[in-house]
Amino acid sequence: MPRDSLAEVPDEALLVLYANGDPEAARLLTTRLLPRVLGYAGRLLADRTEAEDVAQEAMLRLWKQAADWRQGEAKVSTWVYRVVSNLCTDRLRARQRRRSEALDDVPEPADGAASAVAGMIEADRMAALDAALASLPDRQREAVVLRHIEGMSNPEIAEILQIGVEAVESLTARGKRALAAILSGQRAALGYEEAE
Amino acid sequence: MMDDLDDLFASARRDAMQPSAALRARVLADAAREQPKPALRVVAKPGFWAGLAALFGGGGVLAGVGSAAVAGLVLGFVQPVGFGSVTDLLAADTLAGVEFMPGIDALLAEE
Repeated sequence: MPRDSLAEVPDEALLVLYANGDPEAARLLTTRLLPRVLGYAGRLLADRTEAEDVAQEAMLRLWKQAADWRQGEAKVSTWVYRVVSNLCTDRLRARQRRRSEALDDVPEPADGAASAVAGMIEADRMAALDAALASLPDRQREAVVLRHIEGMSNPEIAEILQIGVEAVESLTARGKRALAAILSGQRAALGYEEAE
Repeated sequence: MMDDLDDLFASARRDAMQPSAALRARVLADAAREQPKPALRVVAKPGFWAGLAALFGGGGVLAGVGSAAVAGLVLGFVQPVGFGSVTDLLAADTLAGVEFMPGIDALLAEE
């Protein structure tokens, strides 16, 4: 099917087309979902290599699921975000275990090779945010990232995390307060010293 | 601090990782490998009976012709009594003795 005619087709229908052997459907689904999946994994893991592995694995699971996809049960994007959440949780726990075994508490260096001052400040701010997010409990971190960075609605987050909407509201509120408390001691590192 | 936090979230949205061409290629390779293939349609080679049925104009016609042939053979071998009297009537007399229109001689004689 030509690309133009698929542009308006919902993800669920594209997945059915993919399962029926349409190669264009896979390309379009990848274009739509991969940046979101990678962005979410990247924010949770703060490591490009690991985030790419998780994104590829989540998409692979989607391809494998396509033939047995049950229409109307979940949105494709919600399903993939849920897979990414679970994969990231597994990796973060494994990372925590390795660190506690190695007694290595040195934080990961900031991603990228920013040489300009402005770039370094931006990288530092992102590194501080990543470190603060990493210190949150798993569910709070996922809820905050989905709500405030991925821009999802509370019902969507509830479906991804498989909890109630009220629990999502509570998680995001507590997570945001905890982040503010952690970051308030790092205002200089975040570049807000002039604002005071 | 909450406003600062919102600024930070906005920066994080702009800073989101973008997929490299290599990652996209890996994902598409997975998709191609895992894509369900359409089931192969198996076309059976027509066998002897199918060919014969086609020659007669279908299986039903072949069955009818076959049944008639078998019935003819059975009747020929068994020769039921009822049929015997009919065949005797036809075969025992000479052709000259059989009157197919017995009343016509009388009509001609009157002329």
